[in-house]
Amino acid sequence: MAEQQIPKPKNPEDDWKVWLVLNPATWLMPILLAVLVIALGVHTMVFSNPAFSW
Amino acid sequence: MAEQASLSGLTPDQAKEFHEQFKITYTTFAGLAAVAHLLVLVWKPWF
Repeated sequence: MAEQQIPKPKNPEDDWKVWLVLNPATWLMPILLAVLVIALGVHTMVFSNPAFSW
Repeated sequence: MAEQASLSGLTPDQAKEFHEQFKITYTTFAGLAAVAHLLVLVWKPWF
């Protein structure tokens, strides 16, 4: 069977299509929690630097 | 032909509707983060 040609997405106009793959009812909270974990990690690292602590 | 069900189960319209809100929330988050970084930059320039 011929290889199905899937057109390359054009972003940002095709960004919305991510929600055709990831159901936000399932994945929105894990995405937000991942952002929170990254933010806490970065803040912890920056705060460990005495120059940016108080 | 019946509309092709997506992997997530959302219809294209639902995906576009959710994405509009997602963009608003993300832009607000990025804006607040930019303001916070500007305040830190004023307090202690790191470069």
